[in-house]
Amino acid sequence: MISIESTSFAYDDGAPLLVGVTLAVQPGEYVVVAGASASGKTTLARLLAGQTGADAGAVFRGAVTLDGETIRFDGAPTDPRIDPAAWSARVGFVAQGAWGQLSMMSASVGEEIAFGPSNLGVPTDQLRSLVADVAAALTLTPLLNHDPRRLSGGQLQRTVIAAAMAQRPAVLVLDEPFQGLDDDSAQDVADALEVLRGAGTAIVVCEPMLPRAAPEGARVLALADGRPVFDGLLTDARGAGLRRYGIGTAGDPPRLDPASDPTGPHGRELVTLRGVGFSYPSGRRGDDRSACLAGVDLSLHAGEIVALRGSNGSGKSTLLQHLNGLCRADAGSVSLAGVPILRQPTGALAACVGFLFQDTDQQLFERTVLREVSYGPFAAGHRRDDAVRRASEALERVGLGALEEAHPYELGFVQRRLVALASIIATGPAVWALDEPTAGLDDPARTLLAALVTAHARGGGAVVLATHDEAFARAVAHRSVRLEGGRIMPEDHPSV
Amino acid sequence: MSSSLTLSTEPTAQRPRRLLVALGGALIVATYLFLVIVQPAEIAGGMGSVASLVSLFGFLGGGALLVGGILPTLTTSSLVVMPLGIALNIAIGQIAGSLGMQIYLDAIGTVLVAVLAGPAAGAATGALSNAIWGLFNPFALPFAAGAALIGLLAGLAAKHGAFRRVYLAPLAGLVVGAIGGLVAAPVAVFMFGAAGTFGTNAIIAVFRSMGDKLLVAATKQGLLSDSVDKIVVFVVVALIVYALPQRAVRQFPFARTYRVLGARSGERTAQPAAGNDRVA
Amino acid sequence: MRRRRIYNPLTELLAAVLLVVLVLVVNRWEFSLAVLVLVVVPAVVSSGRPRQIGLAVAVVAGPLLLSSLLLHGLFYPEGSTVLADLGPARVTAEGLSFAALMGLRMSVFTGVLLTAAMTLEVPELLATMTHRGWNRKLVFVVGSAVGLIPHVALRARQITRAQQARGLVVGRGPLARLRALLTVTTPLVIGLLVDASERNHMLGARGFSSTVARTSYLPDTDTPGQRIARRVMLAVTAVFSTAWLILPVVTG
Repeated sequence: MISIESTSFAYDDGAPLLVGVTLAVQPGEYVVVAGASASGKTTLARLLAGQTGADAGAVFRGAVTLDGETIRFDGAPTDPRIDPAAWSARVGFVAQGAWGQLSMMSASVGEEIAFGPSNLGVPTDQLRSLVADVAAALTLTPLLNHDPRRLSGGQLQRTVIAAAMAQRPAVLVLDEPFQGLDDDSAQDVADALEVLRGAGTAIVVCEPMLPRAAPEGARVLALADGRPVFDGLLTDARGAGLRRYGIGTAGDPPRLDPASDPTGPHGRELVTLRGVGFSYPSGRRGDDRSACLAGVDLSLHAGEIVALRGSNGSGKSTLLQHLNGLCRADAGSVSLAGVPILRQPTGALAACVGFLFQDTDQQLFERTVLREVSYGPFAAGHRRDDAVRRASEALERVGLGALEEAHPYELGFVQRRLVALASIIATGPAVWALDEPTAGLDDPARTLLAALVTAHARGGGAVVLATHDEAFARAVAHRSVRLEGGRIMPEDHPSV
Repeated sequence: MSSSLTLSTEPTAQRPRRLLVALGGALIVATYLFLVIVQPAEIAGGMGSVASLVSLFGFLGGGALLVGGILPTLTTSSLVVMPLGIALNIAIGQIAGSLGMQIYLDAIGTVLVAVLAGPAAGAATGALSNAIWGLFNPFALPFAAGAALIGLLAGLAAKHGAFRRVYLAPLAGLVVGAIGGLVAAPVAVFMFGAAGTFGTNAIIAVFRSMGDKLLVAATKQGLLSDSVDKIVVFVVVALIVYALPQRAVRQFPFARTYRVLGARSGERTAQPAAGNDRVA
Repeated sequence: MRRRRIYNPLTELLAAVLLVVLVLVVNRWEFSLAVLVLVVVPAVVSSGRPRQIGLAVAVVAGPLLLSSLLLHGLFYPEGSTVLADLGPARVTAEGLSFAALMGLRMSVFTGVLLTAAMTLEVPELLATMTHRGWNRKLVFVVGSAVGLIPHVALRARQITRAQQARGLVVGRGPLARLRALLTVTTPLVIGLLVDASERNHMLGARGFSSTVARTSYLPDTDTPGQRIARRVMLAVTAVFSTAWLILPVVTG
């Protein structure tokens, strides 16, 4: 029904991607395009969606066949231009990051789903029944009157899928649709995709890793450096040794060097929380969907790695933000190495606590990776040349030494995350607070992160990480703390 | 070889509605001239209501005609950044407040859109920006034409290379700000009796105490404060656009075609020091 | 919380604008005061959220009124009836009455427009614009901008926090503040541009460039009666304004 034969694809200055890649998708199929960062999977997804990148200076050679109609591209300016509206009526596409796919002019989920058909002049009453059908299939009916800008991650993702499905395309292509979702939301999205597939829609999902669970008969096309390395059933892919191409399986523990076994707490107390209570001022509630805290005690010693666990809204992020003063406790006290956090500005605490945000992109603002990473140590009081040297070393450690002069935003998602991590390493705080550090990472980056975290603890630092990634937490952390409704739940201490 | 899935090779460029644009521009110029020439009668009373009506309809209507003429010609790549520029205009005002800045900086979005997407998109962004801002702050409404002019001039400046060198940006800002101040003054005078913040009114008071007419005093004040404001705005926008990744700039045909930005540092041949010491 | 809406937002906006025009046309403090007392105050009180609107009007208009009073009350060289001579500044009767006229005008202006805007249902307004066949690009830019404003403000706050977490401390000097502004604005703009580029693709895919008349998911709350009423209001205001402005000239 749709098939693609790519001879090559290149941005005007880059190395060719998608060399000799072919993919054919049949109705009702579930195809996983798996590949580590920069493997070309997003490019393939966009090609399937009819975006050949000609307007952004990319050159595509190959052919795409949709419903028996073949369109050839020779990389010449005279190449045909795909009609995006006609194409999307047959191939729906959900890109990474839901915000860019909202029109931002809809105050309700219903309007957002109807955005496409209403552009084509479908009358109001027909719009209503069409939206009702799509919403029912994706269990969005109770949300139809909600503001799409105030949904949780999973609900937002399903809204965007519904908007792409409003014209009933026969193929749906999704680029990392589960990124940053907790298990329950990811399951909701997976269920929604299953409903669509049950109705005959072919589903193509790009993922950095092989999925832990997928519909029966799911196929995998694995890419590495823009070349196909595996094409077959998911069940066979698991045993095909794809890890050497940087493609792991979601839910597997990261590979840890046995010698790097974390030693565990040794030495002084670095973080002390005593009876911390916190609630957001009522006016700010809609902000981050963050939960309150009540009576939280937590202590962290040098050499210790603690995983914060709990569902979305349980207060994990809020707790983390108490460590560097982004949130100030209403009750109780927070101390860093015995010094209480009172009125010090957050910026002054950056030298003691390194914070990795869930959305790292909000932290990057410099023109080159090197300048970006040297900002932290410079702000912490190091001399300029010293800051640059530390930045350089930190970049070496996260494996980005060759990209010092690149623009942070020209890197892929995984690399940007590593840049943010390098910023923390270069600044050199004793305590690391990491919010969902593994979200969206590929296998090599996840393994690297595990190694860096354990090395930091071994070197006398302490790490708190809020994470949904159970396997990672179990492999790396000395103990887990479970939060529910802003309180710490008693739990067994799974030791490594 | 056209098919149901491809577009015809002839791009269907929409003709600009030149008549509307010309009418809008003419209306704004005529309004300004009328206000400036008639002004002696203003303070004595009598012409007051006519002058304020003319400034409301002339500037607002001119702005509306401009938007009406420009909008249909804009491509979607320009269209999607306009809301962003409008939201930035309004939101940065708030950040500037929260960081305790003393200037308004309410044109950063307009100038940014003008630099990336061209003078037409910039003008429309400025006009619509003030129209939407009028929902929160009605005093912004009558300045729509002035804001459109800022966008238009910023786009023209960018087209002719004012952003190819960082040091040219403040010069362009000075010129654009002066013109903007000239145009805004009669609106402020005839609509609101030149009411502004305490800071701007203090400047007007100084000129008034020297015996200047209200319009003259407000114009001098406009020249002064708008120039400073626009110098800062142009510098901020220049620093932002040079910090943008190339990919983000390349998506705009205007910025690509007219090479709005000069050779950039941060590419492989990193230039030493110059302008690099933002952290210092 | 919100009052029950009787008229379409387009009708209410037009009524507010025409009221402002009338105040400008008549240009007498008696009329402005009457509008303020008889129209604006009742409208604010019956709006269903008088406190918020009252506060907004005070925040927007208050400083302007005060600074305007100071400016014209103290510095009005054209004034001849001097009430108090304070050296360079002179309090004149003409200056005070000019300040009062402008103050009343600004109060009406703010009160009328803010009441209309703060009780406005933006989705309904956009739906009405679509149903009335307004240019879809205009509807998109207006709707999208209004929708983006809270998002941009939220994102700016998050970025400020993220930058503080990596060592940003806002200094006191103007240059330090400018630098702080840039550390927040640059990632903000980049993030928004990345979204905008994706939105560009999305608009293409959702057939935004189609030339047929756009439709709306929301029902049309406009009525033929209101459409006529809007035209009548417009015509009446136009005729009245012309008469009011021309008659004195003709009759000398």
